[in-house]
Amino acid sequence: MGALEGKVALVTGAGRGIGAAVATLLGAEGASVVVNDPGVNTDGTGHDDGPAAQTAGAIVAAGGEAQPNVDSVAEAAGGEAMVEQAVTAYGRLDILVNCAGILRDRMIFNMTQEEWDAVIAVHLTGHFNTIRPASLQMRAQRAGRIINFTSVSGLLGNPGQVNYGAAKAAIAGLTRVAARDVGRYGVTVNALSPVAATRMTQGVPGGGSGRSSAPRSAFGGMREAEDVAPMVGYLASDEAWDINGQIFHVQGGRVSLAHQPLPEHTIVTPTPPWTLAELDDGVHYVLMRRRRNPAAPPEDVEVPGRDVTPRALA
Amino acid sequence: MTALAGRTALVTGAAGGIGREVALLLGRLGANVVVNDPGVNLDGTGGSAGPAEEVAQAIVDAGGAAVPDAGSVATPEGGEAMVRRAVEEFGRIDAVIHAAGILRDRMIFNMTEEEWHEVAAVHLAGYFHVVRPASQLMRQQRFGRLVGFSSSSGLVGNSGQANYGAAKAGIAGMARCLALDLGRYAVTSNAIAPTAETRMTQSVPQSARSARSASGIAPLSAEPTRAEPAHVAPMVAYLLTDQAWDINGCVFYVGAGRVSIAHEAQPLRSINKPERWSVAELAELVPTELMRGLANPAPPAS
Repeated sequence: MGALEGKVALVTGAGRGIGAAVATLLGAEGASVVVNDPGVNTDGTGHDDGPAAQTAGAIVAAGGEAQPNVDSVAEAAGGEAMVEQAVTAYGRLDILVNCAGILRDRMIFNMTQEEWDAVIAVHLTGHFNTIRPASLQMRAQRAGRIINFTSVSGLLGNPGQVNYGAAKAAIAGLTRVAARDVGRYGVTVNALSPVAATRMTQGVPGGGSGRSSAPRSAFGGMREAEDVAPMVGYLASDEAWDINGQIFHVQGGRVSLAHQPLPEHTIVTPTPPWTLAELDDGVHYVLMRRRRNPAAPPEDVEVPGRDVTPRALA
Repeated sequence: MTALAGRTALVTGAAGGIGREVALLLGRLGANVVVNDPGVNLDGTGGSAGPAEEVAQAIVDAGGAAVPDAGSVATPEGGEAMVRRAVEEFGRIDAVIHAAGILRDRMIFNMTEEEWHEVAAVHLAGYFHVVRPASQLMRQQRFGRLVGFSSSSGLVGNSGQANYGAAKAGIAGMARCLALDLGRYAVTSNAIAPTAETRMTQSVPQSARSARSASGIAPLSAEPTRAEPAHVAPMVAYLLTDQAWDINGCVFYVGAGRVSIAHEAQPLRSINKPERWSVAELAELVPTELMRGLANPAPPAS
């Protein structure tokens, strides 16, 4: 008996990579799976029915239940259609996993409007387009699991990915709000921040592992797409009914609960507003004590303020 | 007060609330200010050049330099035009402060596509629309300051604001990515989540407050102060000063006499295994090891 016997799942971007690994695991745990993937290239161009059919076929071949879907999450109608397919085919929707994603990396000063729009459309709008109809269905059922995908690119920052980082950080925010909107109806919403070598991360410096402070596996090279799937399977199960609004890092054999971005250090004045001199003191010596500039200007760049000592403001 | 003399700042959404107080303070500190505001209502309807003109005039009346701009950040053309206005009027652009924002609150299951897109367009895409052209100039001049406005609605979570919370968390993500793209050119990028005392109080666990009190960072019995928009402005101005040259990629909560630096989303607790986990193993360890002490923010109704 699998952990998800009798459940109905929709997995977006499930033709390849993490999405395919997730769909396969959910199928193996007993869920009926709608395998969504329009089969586009990593930059969002093209179309191919093959990847969705292949993942669905593999689930069926292994004795499970699955159907392909090739709609795009970038369109509201696409999100609605795939939710409807799950309900029509299997009578309900218990699990939504949002894996679909593309990349259009570029430094901010060279990024085109089209590169921004395309990445926001698939990742961020794509999450909204599936969550909205799924949340309606799950609210009516008084049960459901929504598992989103965020990234260290947005949670911690990554150069050349302001479009992707914006979308992925926004998905973390969307997760926290949606969790509070639907929690009382027995629905949970959580997000995973995966590190895994997939088609999408090929060609990205560091393989998408973010800047040096990003979480790194204690076990070296093991960070395959399949390593991410069990945590999705667990969050989708009945046992995880009370885990809601959380972000988890998953990389290889390491699963971590992410720090919430709550206040870490605080300075207070009883007589606001602050003066600049008061702020200079407090910010420099208390708030920034353990922080460093993640991309400090090189020594040969003249930076006003770099040589100012002692610290004093007019 | 000449801490920002010679600097030129673009403030979006500067006709009211926090944006207005930021624009007025920057003007008083000697900066040239482009006062952007399309003069729309909180829900995005309407439009008038009057509100931006009024704030710009107030800065000029106080002896400062300012020009109004009634364009919208929701389009790339609007963003480019206001950056161009700064350069045409004042010769350069040193800072972008994105305070523009609208609200369209709705529970996620009832939210319309239009409500989602309009909020995302002003807050999130709006920041991209001004930052992209500004970053090109800042990179060339090897100086710049970017300040985005985030919110506890996205960083902590606030029911009924999936559109706003997503956009505001996205701005924090942008702040971190922009910091890495531009830091080497002496451009800094940070985000501020303005707070009211009540919201802050709810989001800070008692244990954290006690720890802070014990370490002398904040008195446990600090008198709650009314959170006014004017209380947020000094931190924005400080991030624009030369002294703040090395503050980059951070998110600050600011309001009512408090300034806090937000935790980064690093792992808080981890479980490790030298091979792939099974679902059953995770079912045993996640509740006890990762989730201990953490409550469901919206548990199912009984």
